[in-house]
Amino acid sequence: MQKGEKLIIVGCSGAGGPCAMLAKKLMPEVDVTVIRKEQYFIVR
Amino acid sequence: MVAGLAAENAIVVPDQNLKNAGIEVIGGEVVRVDASGRKVTLADGQALAYDKLFLATGASPLVPPIEGKELEGVLTLRGLPDACRIRDYFSEKKPEKIVFIGAGFITLEVASLMAMTAKEKMDITIVELLDRPLPLMLDMDMAALVKAHLEEKGIKVMTGEKVEKIVGKAGIVSAVALASGQELPADMVFMNIGTRPNVDLAKEIGLEMGRFGIKVNAYQETSDPHILAGGDCVEKFHLITGKPVPGQLRGPAVIQGRLAAKRLAGYAIPFPGVLNAGGCQFFERVATSTGLTEEEAAKEGFETVSATVDSRSKHGMIPGVQPWRIKLVFDKRSQKLIGGQIVAHAVASAKAIDTVNALIWGGKTISDLTTHMCACNPDISSEPSLEPISIAAELALQKLRS
Repeated sequence: MQKGEKLIIVGCSGAGGPCAMLAKKLMPEVDVTVIRKEQYFIVR
Repeated sequence: MVAGLAAENAIVVPDQNLKNAGIEVIGGEVVRVDASGRKVTLADGQALAYDKLFLATGASPLVPPIEGKELEGVLTLRGLPDACRIRDYFSEKKPEKIVFIGAGFITLEVASLMAMTAKEKMDITIVELLDRPLPLMLDMDMAALVKAHLEEKGIKVMTGEKVEKIVGKAGIVSAVALASGQELPADMVFMNIGTRPNVDLAKEIGLEMGRFGIKVNAYQETSDPHILAGGDCVEKFHLITGKPVPGQLRGPAVIQGRLAAKRLAGYAIPFPGVLNAGGCQFFERVATSTGLTEEEAAKEGFETVSATVDSRSKHGMIPGVQPWRIKLVFDKRSQKLIGGQIVAHAVASAKAIDTVNALIWGGKTISDLTTHMCACNPDISSEPSLEPISIAAELALQKLRS
């Protein structure tokens, strides 16, 4: 992805959080947004 | 958390962690995706444009269409809200007769925690359709150790029993009726018979679907070039058989989430497939497994050779030494390791399953494993002469010759 592009992540399963965190780390100039309907990200 | 041993906020990732990293977090439900216009719409009408979309919609507990499933006191567990409901029901209603439907790892963990933390003695029964507890993880010989320990702790385990319906009085659960005609009194029923992927949104987008979820390639890419997906909502493939499998475990979900991020950043690291490695702790036992059981391997057409070895957590002279048992399953034709199971008294011993996992992944054979050498220390491992992986391989070697 290129600078200024937008990544949207839908959901709070075990994949969503790690994807968001690593995407931002690897591509700090990409806008990362997480949308989730649950109140929390579960850890287990 | 269900047993009151951990607080709600202790088992979740705080939003602040994400926000601190510069990630925007929006609480809301995506109700529509315009794939051609690359835009998502939330339930409140808010619309957001995207260049790439990652679907991680997870899975939900599978609730079969049996009579009585909607009664008060019939509960499932998947996420934090479910755990809160169980904890609250448990503390408010103080159930004394609990029936668990399904003998998977969540059942064993919750049942044992409830029994261990209850102030009053509870009557706990586990009903399983198949012939053993943890039927997707263990062969019958290993599952027998699990069943024996549960029964030793006062849990009644009924295998080979089908639930006909859940019975209620005034809208509240009162019993579980079995197909065999037996009726089990119950003031709480816990259902744990599997999960189904949350794929409504993906279907609405028109993404290609597999038998077990959203179809993705090895790089987590869906049939839409701008949409990736990962975790419980996608179909995976088995590392050994290459066949599609559900694989709804957290380990693969985390790896798939990270792989998708790497793919978007320009890396091309393929997902290797799943071995469905997992484990659970119940009372004073830990069971772990990976790869294929002997029974699964036979169903997949493998002729197997297996070996079971008893070992110990420390050198025999060290106080606190505890036993554990490992079973390894090999493909007789290629002699490759294809599965492993452990039932142990100690968590550390059960973690040897990760070694088994790596050995399967590396394609190691019986001969390779006979030279497997571990880090040994009297306090943290068995004596080198009792290292069970190499001994199991030697047993398998002897079986092949005979």
